[in-house]
Amino acid sequence: MAEHELKQIISQLEKPHNLHQAPKLLSKAKLGLLHLHALVPSANTSPQHILLATSVLEHGALLSIRLKDTEAFTRYYQQLQPFYSLPHERWHRAGKPKNQSKVTGLYLLLLLSVGDYAGFHTVLEGLEMSSGKEHIEKDELIQYPVRLEQALMEGSYDKVWGETKGERVPSEEFAVFSEVLINTIRSEIASCSERAYPSLQISNAKNLLFLDSEGAVIQFAQARGWVAKDGRIYFPQQEAEMLAAGKDVMSSSNTVIENTLGYARKLETIV
Amino acid sequence: MADKMDVDAVNGEKEEEKVGPAPDLTAERIITNNFNLINQAVDSFDARFTLRALRSIATIRKAADFPEALAFGIRTAFPKPQNNARRVLEEMLPESVRSGGAQQNGGGEVNGAAVKEQDVVEIAEVWVYLGLLVQVSDAKYWVYLFDNQEYQRGADFSSNFVDKIRSFNRRTMDPIGAKAYFYYALFHENLTPLPPSKQSPVIDIRPVLMAALRSAVIRKDDETQAAVTVLLLRNYISTADITQADLLIAQTQFPASAANNQVCRYLYYLGRIRAIQLAYTEAHANLESATRKSPTAGPAVGFYQQATKLLIVVELLMGDIPERSTFRQPSLEAALHPYFKLVQAVRVGDLQAFLKCVHTYEQQFRSDGTYTLILRLRQNVIKTGVRMLSLSYSRISLRDICTRLHISSEESAEYITAKAIRDGVIEATLDHTHGHLITTPAKDAYSTTEPSEAFHARIEALLGMRDECVMAMRYPMNKHRQEIAEAAKARERERELAKEIIEGDADADDGDEGGFEGM
Repeated sequence: MAEHELKQIISQLEKPHNLHQAPKLLSKAKLGLLHLHALVPSANTSPQHILLATSVLEHGALLSIRLKDTEAFTRYYQQLQPFYSLPHERWHRAGKPKNQSKVTGLYLLLLLSVGDYAGFHTVLEGLEMSSGKEHIEKDELIQYPVRLEQALMEGSYDKVWGETKGERVPSEEFAVFSEVLINTIRSEIASCSERAYPSLQISNAKNLLFLDSEGAVIQFAQARGWVAKDGRIYFPQQEAEMLAAGKDVMSSSNTVIENTLGYARKLETIV
Repeated sequence: MADKMDVDAVNGEKEEEKVGPAPDLTAERIITNNFNLINQAVDSFDARFTLRALRSIATIRKAADFPEALAFGIRTAFPKPQNNARRVLEEMLPESVRSGGAQQNGGGEVNGAAVKEQDVVEIAEVWVYLGLLVQVSDAKYWVYLFDNQEYQRGADFSSNFVDKIRSFNRRTMDPIGAKAYFYYALFHENLTPLPPSKQSPVIDIRPVLMAALRSAVIRKDDETQAAVTVLLLRNYISTADITQADLLIAQTQFPASAANNQVCRYLYYLGRIRAIQLAYTEAHANLESATRKSPTAGPAVGFYQQATKLLIVVELLMGDIPERSTFRQPSLEAALHPYFKLVQAVRVGDLQAFLKCVHTYEQQFRSDGTYTLILRLRQNVIKTGVRMLSLSYSRISLRDICTRLHISSEESAEYITAKAIRDGVIEATLDHTHGHLITTPAKDAYSTTEPSEAFHARIEALLGMRDECVMAMRYPMNKHRQEIAEAAKARERERELAKEIIEGDADADDGDEGGFEGM
């Protein structure tokens, strides 16, 4: 497949309506790349090929986000990694890939929404090492997931709520994650509230949980196993914990005896 | 353990502490003495002689006439100038030394003659040892030449050198080979572009190191296996390929009988990787062992400093405050000063002070490689702040919490405290209608099992350490056979004594001297 056919496919991909035909177009494009030996960058791939390959893969990544296909997105991201780690000389006239920060930011957000904080930090370390802090700080697309992660770790969920609402989101692809994130923080807030409040009024719960109506609150409460009585929600977990704590000292006498016997045995070998 | 201090600090300082030869021996004598040591090592198949020879590298390096001494050593070992091995070594030395040493060629020292008679087989070790010294000499040149070309030459020589070593497959050469790999990696680390760039040549040496690891495991060469594993980990961490490093650790086993300094390094790198992956408890355990086993005084103190810095940051991330006595140690005081300030800010829970401290010492933290970890401390500062408040107040309004901790809104404060309660940082309840945080009074700790669990952990650790020490005690090989022989002889003597006593008694007054003979 010649280069200009690839370019045709890319321009088709960029048009917004072709969402459903996109996977087919993408497979054709990938075949073309294979013919050009450009799917994996090697020492002698020319800059134009590299640019073509990167744009095809980036479009693939963004489209799979729109289609909510996280597996495909992860695959495209992994395929893009060797391209991103090429030095600047290989790109020369062609310029840097435009969507690199976007794809990276989206990947970070994906890791956050599934709760893989270890992976999140590992990728972030790699980024800091390769592009330096100043780059990262100015890059809004990467700062967005970083800010979100900070807010999540701190526990200021209203900040997270604010960030995922409307204007603060850098681009539409990020908005796809907003739903997932909101669900995550809702369950987090719910588990925090269980421990922190003895009981809660339903109207307050509505505000806390960012839910729209009292009916939704009652549904949510029932789903989590809380008891809703005359306008208040009661959290049942606390009593169970008190019982558990009470058993502590008695049942542990076994452990104490075992430990002491172990000490005696070891000491005999020393003395 | 005091005389096995061959630790090289993580940030490239290469110095040793040793109980070595007297300082007034010239470098030449030391090198020729080492030939004898190495030959002894080969004869008795005992690694301790080679280790002693390796330990003297530090003194030799500092000698001013090191290149000349090295040239002399090469000539003594290989008297024939046409010898190929000798030529390879001499190429690496600077011009002046090569020509200047011509007149020494004739002098047939006793050592030289003795070495000439040896087998070609034994000279292999000597050749490898000399090659190591040449690497070191090249390394020394970079200190004041700082010329890229020297690194390149050194790197090329080292690549060929380690290839030859791999082909040798001799057990007596293992410690020297391990050291050679170390210098090989060190040369490549200094070639431009420097890591952490992805184009750095360190990435190219990974296949070589992997192959070396494979051969080491097949040949059951513990020293090289340990050294190469550590080098690979260092390689991966320098380019931030943490997942690859993690996979390496998962797939390989670190030999349990490795030298103490390699174990220290391995634990340090392991702790670093775990800290990045947010497994703080594991990282803490690893780093604590690393600091315990590392030398705390003398020239190798740099490693101890680095390990302690990382340990402090991990402790902060776990929510514990490191003890003040750690900062008071004389070898650590100056190096740990920025971390001291950091700990102070985190302890009080003051977010502004924390941010200011991070900003002031940013460069230092970056060069220590702890900057990204410290950024994660932000939520710890807030948690500590919340904890301080809950300890001092039985009831505090959310608005006051906002002002104290510099949090933007009351809602945030509410969520933050709720999360803190769920994470077990504080024991309290929230009163939503009045907007208060009510702390439950602390339970008596001694009524729970906490003290006994803490004791148990401590005792287990100490007993474990004692077991390790006992297992680490070394006895010279075959000595026990000698002991058995001696014991058998002693028993024989006793039996004869007893017989004579009995005979002496049988012919009663017949001369008491018979019974006294054995004494």
